[in-house]
Amino acid sequence: MILHIDMDAFFASIEQAINPRLKEKPLIVGSRDNRMHTVVCAASYEAKAYGIDSGMSSRDALQLCPNLEFVPAQQGRYIWISEQIFRMLEGYGFSLAYTSIDEFQMDINDSVEPQKFARQIQERIYADFHITASVGIAKNWLLAKLASKLNKPNGIAVLTDTNLTEILDLVAVGKICGVGKKTGQILSDLGVKTCLDLYLKSADFLEQNLGKYGFNLYLSLHSQERFEPAEEESRPKSVGHSYTLPRATQTPGFIRAWVRLLSEMVAQRLRAQNLLADTVHLWLNGPEMGNLGAQKAFHEGSNDGYQIYQRSLKIMAKIGPKMPKVRALGVTCSGLLPNRYLPLFEEQKRREDLLKTIDKINGRFGEGSIYPGIIGLTKRMPRI
Amino acid sequence: MPYSSFSPKARWDRHIHETGEEKSSTAIGRRIEVLVWFKNTRANPRLFIWNNNKYKIKEITYYWQERRGQETLHCFSVSTGLDLYQISFSSVSLSWRLDKVIS
Ligand SMILES: [Mg+2]
Repeated sequence: MILHIDMDAFFASIEQAINPRLKEKPLIVGSRDNRMHTVVCAASYEAKAYGIDSGMSSRDALQLCPNLEFVPAQQGRYIWISEQIFRMLEGYGFSLAYTSIDEFQMDINDSVEPQKFARQIQERIYADFHITASVGIAKNWLLAKLASKLNKPNGIAVLTDTNLTEILDLVAVGKICGVGKKTGQILSDLGVKTCLDLYLKSADFLEQNLGKYGFNLYLSLHSQERFEPAEEESRPKSVGHSYTLPRATQTPGFIRAWVRLLSEMVAQRLRAQNLLADTVHLWLNGPEMGNLGAQKAFHEGSNDGYQIYQRSLKIMAKIGPKMPKVRALGVTCSGLLPNRYLPLFEEQKRREDLLKTIDKINGRFGEGSIYPGIIGLTKRMPRI
Repeated sequence: MPYSSFSPKARWDRHIHETGEEKSSTAIGRRIEVLVWFKNTRANPRLFIWNNNKYKIKEITYYWQERRGQETLHCFSVSTGLDLYQISFSSVSLSWRLDKVIS
């Protein structure tokens, strides 16, 4: 059996544990400091009762609940707590995998009684971290994940051969991980409304109507397989970073500074994996232009943030002479190859030494300890 | 196989600072003196001195760690009964700081 363990309102629950004043209050954790210009990263169950949930703008959330409490997200502590929970779960000796920062999957055998074991894990998490978790148990990961959502918060749900059809019949198909609005609509048009409807469809039917995804969905739903713990990360196909600004702006220097910062972050990751990238993709989003993306392949691979930045500017120049209004932007590098080249010229060697030194300083004192001056401009939104 | 092999480090350890418009008014970041009771392999801060004032700690509400390069920060949220503070101990400078008043 697979156990899917999902922390309840993870970030919000941690903030409520840290600050007792926030307990049992509607609370949102926002992705940035400014409570009026942010996106909800997590909502406490008390906030969810007002119809507030992750992904909503904080402005809309505040409208639904004027006395909403607000805390800006503190990634560092969430990561640390997530790692501690993972380590604690590892101690049980079953194979274990991360599926997101607050979700874990464990492949248990017959030596434990699933429901009792799930209860034990919940109690342990509460005792050590003062937060609650919900656990779903089923024959495969997809059904276990679905089950974890059925009795939230602090709930347990077990899908067995005897109760499976009865429970699946009560759950809307959109609850299944990966079935979004679009797929849900296609399925609904085919008369597939509940999870049971989906479960009873053949592999052929799903493949005909949803393509390869449908076939894989069938396999995931019916799999009895145990999973192997996550393999070592293989070489990525691309490396990218993006960022959404508090509001749209046209200030060229500020936008360029953000392009530089994102380029530096991408380059640092390429260097950490000793990769070069020969293709740069720049993506911009704004109220007037919508989504605008363009990419360009270059003769030489690079993992130098300045070079990636210059290449991004070349792509940007093609957009037009006037800087468009930008709300979000991203830099992605692809065409990755292992860095086997030795610098030929003295100038290249000096540049490489400089980058190595910068990486060392940031590795020791923390990301952003040393950076190109232009990046300083990104810290403050320009006034219009 | 689970649907994704997620590594929290792959996504979260790269700090991206935020473009800000207002500064949080609760940040302090001052060195403080702290009296700590080591019990059951845990450090329990009991009292801190800030600006020549003594603050008796009634309760440690939470403990966690944060990383900054090679430095580990041991963070505590502590209540004096009146207010809630975040204090932290640095593994590099071996010193305590009052990070902020938690509102
Ligand atoms: Mg969760």
